[in-house]
Amino acid sequence: MDLGERLLELTEKIKIGDFALMEEQKETENFDVVFVEGTPITPQNVARVKDLRERSKILVTIGACACLGGIAELKNYQDKEQRLRYVYKNFEGIANPDIKPVKFYVKVDLEIPGCPINKEEFFWAAKDLVAGVIPKIPQRPVCYECQLKRNECLLQKGEPCLGPSMLGGCGAPCPSSAYPCDGCRGPLKGMNLNNFNNKLKELYGFNQEEIDLIMQRFGELDDMYPPPPAKPENKIIKK
Amino acid sequence: MKIKIDHIAKIEGHAGFVADIADGNVVKARLDVFEGARLLEGILQGRSYNEVSQITSRICGVCPVVHNLTSLKALEAALGVIPSEQTILLRKLMMMGQILNSHALHLFFFSLSDFFGIKNDLELIKKYPGRAADSLLLRGFGNKIIEVIGGRSIHPLTPVVGGFKKAPDQEKLEEVLKDSGAALKAAVSLAKFFCSLKYPSFDRACNFVALGLPGEYAIYDGSVKIGKETESVSGFMPKIQEFQVKENPSAKRSEFQGKTYMVGSLARLNLNSKYLNAKAKAIFRDTNLILPLCNPFYNILAQAIELVQCVEESQQILEKTKDIDFESIQPPPIELKKGKGFGAIEAPRGTLFYYYEVGANGLIKNANIITPTAQNLARLEDDMVFYLPQLTRGGKALCKEECEDLIKMLVRAYDPCLTCATH
Repeated sequence: MDLGERLLELTEKIKIGDFALMEEQKETENFDVVFVEGTPITPQNVARVKDLRERSKILVTIGACACLGGIAELKNYQDKEQRLRYVYKNFEGIANPDIKPVKFYVKVDLEIPGCPINKEEFFWAAKDLVAGVIPKIPQRPVCYECQLKRNECLLQKGEPCLGPSMLGGCGAPCPSSAYPCDGCRGPLKGMNLNNFNNKLKELYGFNQEEIDLIMQRFGELDDMYPPPPAKPENKIIKK
Repeated sequence: MKIKIDHIAKIEGHAGFVADIADGNVVKARLDVFEGARLLEGILQGRSYNEVSQITSRICGVCPVVHNLTSLKALEAALGVIPSEQTILLRKLMMMGQILNSHALHLFFFSLSDFFGIKNDLELIKKYPGRAADSLLLRGFGNKIIEVIGGRSIHPLTPVVGGFKKAPDQEKLEEVLKDSGAALKAAVSLAKFFCSLKYPSFDRACNFVALGLPGEYAIYDGSVKIGKETESVSGFMPKIQEFQVKENPSAKRSEFQGKTYMVGSLARLNLNSKYLNAKAKAIFRDTNLILPLCNPFYNILAQAIELVQCVEESQQILEKTKDIDFESIQPPPIELKKGKGFGAIEAPRGTLFYYYEVGANGLIKNANIITPTAQNLARLEDDMVFYLPQLTRGGKALCKEECEDLIKMLVRAYDPCLTCATH
């Protein structure tokens, strides 16, 4: 929506099959491209994403919840039954699964990560998709854009910034606002988070609890393993 | 007769509606919220005071600013931190941006099509390109305010307990002030347009709740006004009775003193209209409507008035922010100690309440968040019990589709946010 007129221009080249924020018509039977946001929690969510996968040629996940699990995944690192009972007196019928990104349920053709997503990145990705191309997001760390902006390095200043290990493309708004990168776009492909974790401890003197709190925030850790879902005890960074 | 709407489009999140009508009386009316529970208050336990406001911001992509700031206010109350005047000014300005971007979205893209029976916004945009442009301009203006101060328009980065991590660029603030002329023009034009629309008739006495502050159209601060009574935020929030309904347990409902109540633009207009800024007040006066307005459909009109109010307010605040530098908004050193604190801000959809108990180590022990929609849900369902017979009874009974359209319109008039309601 924040693309404003540019979004409207884009909609002229496509037919909208379903977009509940803007229309209430019956959705089309099959889709060329489906954008999925959010993390599946209820059984209906899971069924819906599987159904959409079957009916679409290309499935794209957008945002940290869909790509990584997002903040809802924090409970994976906690006692999730206690969390449920804490929030609800009557918890019968309230779904409380381990939170997994969409790619654990279905094949995903493209991930547009971030919390929030970078609207410019979404725009060019959408344009490529309209042209029939699945774009690739360049594997550069957040530091790349951060340095181009000539920001003072937060890590060097002693703040726990995940920039060196995380996928850039966001334009580094966080370190530009003196806020250390907390990895909402997930780690770079092939990044060994365990090594990075140790560096944070040894070189920069952070303690494990501190690092855990940040790494858990967007559900960083399951990205290290290919689907099917990794068991929690396989997670390398333990509390 | 049974009414069942599986999915209500053009609201924030997923919901359906069911009602049973027997002998012209509504036996039940329920908004079924289909959002999964993220257990927000639960997952905040054991997390640090300096990160939870970033986490709660993620409750909602439409109103992240107000979640972020209300969380900070509750933490400041718990830790005994007092932010500077300049910090409060910038936060107030961010709130103007927040309300503008949310209202602009709701008014044009969610609610307007209901007045013309149009089911697709692309069609609506073709019919009203000028109004669409005004809405997008206002949304952009609101986003720009948030971005200049917060570092980005969704999930702002700079606000922290006690102040800001970084000061806004003065040149950019000046740019925003320059843009505000066009924004005001767009807001006035949209507000007049929404005042000229014909609203469905439905009047029902209601308890309205909003923050109130002498001399101000309260948004960022105030005590809680409940009709003619006033109570402190820390006095009111624990008295909100949250409850669940068996058929749809994940979204809590709320009551106060055993009664449902309404929060949001209409509540604010009813309780604080005398503090509206000049232009907003004049536009409202021209409608010849008499307060209090007890027709929930007028929540839409109240939002339109608030567009003007918020742009005027932004201009006034921007005049006062010219000498703000980092020193004046830098957070004070924070002494960790045990504490409990409440916070409330008027979100676009109504009063948002936060409560935190922080341990001596700075980690969260207990948290509670009561969102505007969690408060309005019970009132909305209650309204339906009285509204549906009006639609289905007697000689004027409407056909199923007309009936469903009006139900959806009333739901949208409340501007519910189901992701917030469930959180």
